[in-house]
Amino acid sequence: MTTLVAIKGGREGLRLHLDEAAVWSDVLGALRSQLNQGAQFFNGARVIVDIGNRSLSEEQLAELMALMREHHLEAAALASTSCESRSAARAAGVVARPVTRSAAAPEAPGDAMFVWRTIRSGQVVRHHGHVTVVGDVNAGAEVVAGGNVVVWGRLRGTVHAGALGDRTAIICAIELRPTQLRIADLIARAPDGASGGHPEVAYVDGDQIAVESWERYRRSNRNDP
Amino acid sequence: MSRVITITSGKGGVGKTTSTANLGAALAMQGLKVAVVDADIGLRNLDVVMGLENRIVYDLVDVVEGRCRLRQALIKDKHFPDLCLLPAAQTRDKDAVTADDMIALTNQLRAEFDYVLIDSPAGIEAGFRNAIAGADEVLIVTTPEVAAVRDADRIIGLVEAFEKGHPRLIINRLKPRMVSRGEMMSIDDVLQILAIDLIGVVPDDEQIVTSTNRGEVAVLDRSSRAGRAFVEIARRLAGEDVPITVFDDNPGLLNRIFGAFGIRPRGSER
Ligand SMILES: Nc1ncnc2c1ncn2[C@@H]1O[C@H](COP(=O)(O)OP(=O)(O)OP(=O)(O)O)[C@@H](O)[C@H]1O
Ligand SMILES: [Mg+2]
Repeated sequence: MTTLVAIKGGREGLRLHLDEAAVWSDVLGALRSQLNQGAQFFNGARVIVDIGNRSLSEEQLAELMALMREHHLEAAALASTSCESRSAARAAGVVARPVTRSAAAPEAPGDAMFVWRTIRSGQVVRHHGHVTVVGDVNAGAEVVAGGNVVVWGRLRGTVHAGALGDRTAIICAIELRPTQLRIADLIARAPDGASGGHPEVAYVDGDQIAVESWERYRRSNRNDP
Repeated sequence: MSRVITITSGKGGVGKTTSTANLGAALAMQGLKVAVVDADIGLRNLDVVMGLENRIVYDLVDVVEGRCRLRQALIKDKHFPDLCLLPAAQTRDKDAVTADDMIALTNQLRAEFDYVLIDSPAGIEAGFRNAIAGADEVLIVTTPEVAAVRDADRIIGLVEAFEKGHPRLIINRLKPRMVSRGEMMSIDDVLQILAIDLIGVVPDDEQIVTSTNRGEVAVLDRSSRAGRAFVEIARRLAGEDVPITVFDDNPGLLNRIFGAFGIRPRGSER
């Protein structure tokens, strides 16, 4: 994994950090491979692109926008301390703002996001780290996480854990009755019939998504943290 | 303080217009001044349900575009002098008004009425957004069907995003006997998914179709089960603590009182 590109969730939503010092073509290359790896994660997402103090020409910015468009990633805004970069962005019709270093510095504690409500049909929760939902994920709703997803409630919608390519991610719910589950690059449709009526865990076993009762899973993974 | 309440749904044909007309009439029966507004522009039918179609001279778009004053467009109901209808334009489409127009209009109506009920078009488009723009509260109508409930869920999410407070739910066209045979979603099934407060349950009632065709609302008919359900909902809207009755399809059977099972209208908390 490269450090030229980092994706972080914050109060304003997803933020895509592009290294401000490295050669621009290397940064673009790193971004391309990151986007390919996490294609599902980025599809349809809106991000703030943070390029630090790098000054981008209009051509360089156009390259970046084209790459993002190719992966269905939308730029909500461009954040930069460089005036050239901001005017290039405005010329391209992208909202531009000066980076507020002090505000960007204290990263969210840990990599987890906490959602305390019912996620309803048509709503999408997207986060680069783990997601905990206290509430239901209804049919037609979507949770997309780079890490694990825990639903303290009924999971009836679609959840994608490990969406940046992590097959070790798991999905747990008090009632696991999803429309569809995805972990990394794997997809599982809901098994027909009702859920077991007890908390369950979905994880990757070999090349497949397996679902097991929380009790069984816990016993067979006794040594895990 | 007057209240502006929008009646909406995700799926079409679940009973928004029927609910608006009946709740309007039921509130007027309590002696309140009520305006019902048809915000389903281009597909108006609140006037037909209330039997006022042939009295329309001006409509909502005429008011918004300044061709007439609000007073001139309001039509008095045949039965309740304190109930007025502001009809939609039939020959225009939803783009004829904006959310700001609707806010201005509802503010004008607040000055004259205790309750303003807005009949919203179905769906998540501009028409729906306009219909809730001026609202203080929102009622969601659904039938106990999977597709309708799914769409209601979508709408509830949008209403919450517009910060219109917690919407309340009307379950319409319930058939208790189908529920008891396991052929229809129960009240609990619906509430488990939507997780919002229930304000009332209206039974499926064939009489509604015949009374609607005559342009008479169900609440006028004391023998109508749907009409009685709407009267109850209107009382809850006005803040009374009334347990929710589920009127059975067979009028001879004893009604099941749901209040006893812990399902309480939200008004009772106030
Ligand atoms: N409780 C009921 N029992 C029987 N029929 C009903 C009931 N409620 C509504 N209906 C019927 O269902 C049909 C649709 O009702 P209505 O027009 O009120 O729905 P709507 O949600 O306003 O529809 P639209 O989305 O087209 O505006 C009408 O024919 C009406 O008579
Ligand atoms: Mg209607």
